[in-house]
Amino acid sequence: MAKASKALRGRMRSVQNTRKITRTMELVSTSKLKRAQDRVVAARPYAAALAEVIADLVTPELAERFPLLRRPAPPEKGGPRRAAVLLVTSNRGLCGGFNSNLIKEARKRIEALEGRGYQVELHLVGRKGIGFFKYIGRAITTQRQDIGDKPTAQHASELVAGLIEEYSAGRLASVDVVCAKFVSPITTPPTTLGVLPVSTPAVKPGGLKADYILKPGADEILAELLPLYVRNQVYRGLVETAAAEHGARRTAMKNATDNAGEIFELLKRTYNRQRQAAITQEIAEIVGGAAALEG
Amino acid sequence: MRVTVISPEAAIFDGEADAVTAPAHDGQVGILPRHAPFMTLLGRGPLVVTSGSTSRRFMVNGGFLQAVNNTVRVVAEQVKGA
Repeated sequence: MAKASKALRGRMRSVQNTRKITRTMELVSTSKLKRAQDRVVAARPYAAALAEVIADLVTPELAERFPLLRRPAPPEKGGPRRAAVLLVTSNRGLCGGFNSNLIKEARKRIEALEGRGYQVELHLVGRKGIGFFKYIGRAITTQRQDIGDKPTAQHASELVAGLIEEYSAGRLASVDVVCAKFVSPITTPPTTLGVLPVSTPAVKPGGLKADYILKPGADEILAELLPLYVRNQVYRGLVETAAAEHGARRTAMKNATDNAGEIFELLKRTYNRQRQAAITQEIAEIVGGAAALEG
Repeated sequence: MRVTVISPEAAIFDGEADAVTAPAHDGQVGILPRHAPFMTLLGRGPLVVTSGSTSRRFMVNGGFLQAVNNTVRVVAEQVKGA
């Protein structure tokens, strides 16, 4: 008895310690999630304003003249052979299937592109994605793991500046960003954003095509704003992924905490039953012994 | 007129104002209430939003300014200062 109950006590202690850790991580994620969510919301007005203005300015005639809007020819017709995929993952694990879902989405995208005859170059953000693609031995074009929890517009423009340049020079066929979409803290599906060529935001019918005084002119304004739009899409991707990571971690840690609680209850019951059995047996032995003496 | 100043990270200012002076790509522009629909690219420089006797100053860089229906939207790539 003594040996078995000591082992049980040890397990109870270890489960309880684990529960303390997962519970703390859950609380930490909850508070970080709150702040990350605020950043997602705060980023909306800018994106909305930019999309609206671009939708106002773009006309089909203009589209052909801007390298960022032009759709390059497929590789068999002499278009560029290289395509870029930018995958955003988290730096830390313990967030359930979050990163593996993102990686799966990225591999799906890469396979689709390769099936169409493109050479895919990988740009990775976040330690988890880098770790995976290193492990399977794929060439990584660029990698960054210093972005973390609080992505800024600066980070986004650093990430995408080179890609925009390559694309406008006609050396890249497309740029896709694979990141998590932050629908709500518990639904964070991985998504692929086709960032380049720029798919112009939908024009509202009868939108305010007011007689603007445009300075310098529609062309120049559009030329200036399109890169901003691309950068902003990447920024949104970064911010939403950061928020989604915390949401996913909170859910994962809540499940872990609940599980640990259940296991602890089970162990406690087993332990108490064993203890009771031992006591009953001892009493039986004493009573038996006394009865034998009186005999 | 209503003025909003928006950076990629957040909406920095949103309120009523009597005048806005902004650094356009080719020099300062001043916007007063009831301006004709207007859109311009921004350069780098100080943005001043005046309402009554108080005024607020921001440093902006890049982006655009849009004035329509008596609302002015300053959408800048970088905004500093409060």
